[in-house]
Amino acid sequence: MRQRSLIAITAALAAGALTLTACGSRDDDGGSDSGNGGGTTVVIGVDAPLTGDLSALGLGIKNSVDLAAKTANKDNYVDGVKFEIQALDDQGQPSVGQQNATKLVANEDVLGVVGPLNSSVGESMQKVFDTAKLVEVSPANTNPALTQGVDWQTKQVRPYKSYFRTATTDAIQGPFAAQYVFNDSKKKKVFVIDDKKTYGAGLAATFTEEFKKLGGQVVGTEHINPDTKDFNAVATKVKNSGADVVYYGGEYPQAGPLSKQIKAAGAKIPVVGGDGIYSADFIKLAGATGNGDLATSVGAPVEELPSAKEFVANYKAAGYKEAYEAYGGYSYDSGWAIIEAVKKVVEDNDGKLPDDARAKVTEAMQNVSFDGVTGKVSFDEFGDATNKQLTVYAVENGAWKSVKSGTYTG
Amino acid sequence: MTGGIGPVEPGEDTYLRNVTGRAGPGGRTAPSRTRHRRTVRAAGAALLLLAASGSLRADRAREPAEAPPPYPSQAVTLAYLDAAPGPGGARGGGFSFAVRLSVRSGPPVTVTRIAQPSAGLSVASSPAAPFQTKPHSDSKIIVTLRVTECDKAPRNPGFPFLDVTLRNTRAIQTHSFILGSRYARQLSQALQVACGNDSR
Amino acid sequence: MNELPQQLVNGLLLGSMYGLIAIGYTMVYGIVQLINFAHGEIFMTGAFGALTVYIYILPDGTSMLIALPLMLMGAMVVSVAVAVGAERFAYRPLRGAPRLAPLITAIGLSLALQQAVWAWYPHAKSARTFPQIDGGPFHIGSVTLQTGDVFLLIAAPVSMAILAYFVMRTRTGRGMQATAQDPDTAKLMGVNTDRIIVVAFALGAVFAAVGAVANGLKYGQIDFKMGFILGLKAFTAAVLGGIGNIYGAMIGGVVLGIAETLATAYIADIPGLDKFGSQSWADVWAFILLILVLLFRPQGLLGERVADRA
Repeated sequence: MRQRSLIAITAALAAGALTLTACGSRDDDGGSDSGNGGGTTVVIGVDAPLTGDLSALGLGIKNSVDLAAKTANKDNYVDGVKFEIQALDDQGQPSVGQQNATKLVANEDVLGVVGPLNSSVGESMQKVFDTAKLVEVSPANTNPALTQGVDWQTKQVRPYKSYFRTATTDAIQGPFAAQYVFNDSKKKKVFVIDDKKTYGAGLAATFTEEFKKLGGQVVGTEHINPDTKDFNAVATKVKNSGADVVYYGGEYPQAGPLSKQIKAAGAKIPVVGGDGIYSADFIKLAGATGNGDLATSVGAPVEELPSAKEFVANYKAAGYKEAYEAYGGYSYDSGWAIIEAVKKVVEDNDGKLPDDARAKVTEAMQNVSFDGVTGKVSFDEFGDATNKQLTVYAVENGAWKSVKSGTYTG
Repeated sequence: MTGGIGPVEPGEDTYLRNVTGRAGPGGRTAPSRTRHRRTVRAAGAALLLLAASGSLRADRAREPAEAPPPYPSQAVTLAYLDAAPGPGGARGGGFSFAVRLSVRSGPPVTVTRIAQPSAGLSVASSPAAPFQTKPHSDSKIIVTLRVTECDKAPRNPGFPFLDVTLRNTRAIQTHSFILGSRYARQLSQALQVACGNDSR
Repeated sequence: MNELPQQLVNGLLLGSMYGLIAIGYTMVYGIVQLINFAHGEIFMTGAFGALTVYIYILPDGTSMLIALPLMLMGAMVVSVAVAVGAERFAYRPLRGAPRLAPLITAIGLSLALQQAVWAWYPHAKSARTFPQIDGGPFHIGSVTLQTGDVFLLIAAPVSMAILAYFVMRTRTGRGMQATAQDPDTAKLMGVNTDRIIVVAFALGAVFAAVGAVANGLKYGQIDFKMGFILGLKAFTAAVLGGIGNIYGAMIGGVVLGIAETLATAYIADIPGLDKFGSQSWADVWAFILLILVLLFRPQGLLGERVADRA
């Protein structure tokens, strides 16, 4: 009797947990049921953090790719091919990302994957996709090593032919921030903090290097533990270091409280970060004292691009619950790049998908070129976006406001 | 001070097994199972509802937008060509180089100012700003940088850029053009010549 | 400027937070020898309880002076309900089962509670902002304190005093001590041990609720997984102080908090250790301390050495 009650309860708990998990990923395949009347179905995989701290950015990515797929279906953009998305949640964790990659590879209808958000997750997925010749386009990975190899500073070698990205790399983003902070904000003493992750540490390093070259002084460095929200010890160190600016390599769930606690400790200095903190949630978490904090983000401000305006309007019309956030435009373009590549492959093969569709799509991706939400979309020999724009945003009265944009034309 | 309320490291004979043996078998299992089942079923129903509402997303038409002229920063590209002899030769520690300004789309663009952000350098250009460019045209501009104060000039910038103020019928904008590594190399060479090779 | 006083205060504040949560671990363990890993989530639901009171029950713009006691009550109601519910429906049916069963249940419950808040609390998929007490900061010498810190500095010792009084002086408290020492005998003496166990869970939840409100006020935000890491740290604090001992929980918390803070602040200045000094290493140092303490005092700082019982 007792034994049975135990089993019953364990089963109930397990069922409960499973139900909840299912609930969490309830719209994993959102949009897949948007009617496919005959013809071939091509699945675009999406991998992003759909739950947890970074879900604001991740859900924006998922919805934007969904919008690209629906737009292609509605316009019948590729004759006889319907697009669906299959979205998987990586929780921002490399191990989960890798499992998702395996899962996407196993689904034969998947001809391209958009994602992930985190560079560390990207690192763990690249090989899985490359082995399967499945093309991956990341809208948000900014670590230079992903396309140019770990020794990118000295010798650039592309590690994986199937990996592309629409985002600009930290090799440009960090220095751009350094230039702005040193020359425009006239800050000379920086305290550099990072979260030790691939993205954060990489960004902090490129910033630090350029800041020193410009003649700036690094008065302190610190690596925080992203699992905690208590940065008071670090904040006190920052205050006593005499820094006039803080650079943080990392993401908004930590950057927000960090900014707040640094100001509370009595250091009224701006916190500067990369695209990982360019989110409305940063402002929410940093609170009122976050005014004046800066972030660089990839791309030109949305209001400057007519194509982006159209995207914003369509996104709104589609009725997604979550905002498209920092990477919406890049995600749409990543999804659309896959659609363009599929179109090319199908048209070259008399309107049908060839047997080695994955390899063909990967090949076609190299030469894709179209006017996307974020400007002209095409890829260089490393798989990096050729359009490299960056914008500095500042927190003003509780909102991000663009203060300066730059284009890399090297 | 022995304010503790509990034993430390109790042995395996800890008593609760006996205490709670009384908590009675039977009786509870059935209702508790129904309760759990009900919870699961309710959760399942909620799940279905959510899934249904998710699939009812609007899928409305994309409206073609009337295109106003593009922002000048989006219409213009600026590319580094090479170091070039400046209008006054290489006198006075100046570093001259040529850039190509292309107006890709939209109405003509006026370059109202060319600057660079470092405090120790001054900028001159030929043609001198402000000047206007034609639509869909390329024009070559010679930019000359002069060191005004070596202390404030960067020694070895990795990503130096030019701040160019552009105006067209849409807007006036200051945009940074990061001219790439060749420019960075040649600029730092020139700066080292101008300010000596003291390392910093 | 000397930053030691400020860093000590930072550590004290962090440690008080650990201590408030650790009490729940230590009380439940003292009475039923169960490590209630869902306690971190009981703390988390308390924070959401307080937020619910502020946002959805009180009218907009209610002064924190009035709102704070009500938020505390809201937090306690939710935390206690969750804790007592967990005891009644998850742990009590397993009381005769091998020790691992309730432990695994606790972990499952912890995940289920996190996911429940994530899924059903409005806008809880990312962090939610928590109301703040206006005023401050206060400067005492070279030490800066925020209003949220002041609340914590008052709430932690007051809670401890009330708990000590309750355990030492009231009938139920003495019943708890009796049950902790020997449940069989206690029962024979007429102590209602089932009730005592519920009270232990409830009391632990009350302190978690106080800690939850203090956490919200201090950091200005709460999220569905805030209880996980804090719960682990609090459990560590309870072990450090001597699990089963309520004073030990608070002392262990403060020691752990100060150790982490000082490790962050000063280890990097020791020549040769600059690579191991940042906050990301603070946990490592804290656990080294834990290991050292347990090597020399396996019963924890305030734990009593108990001879093996036959």
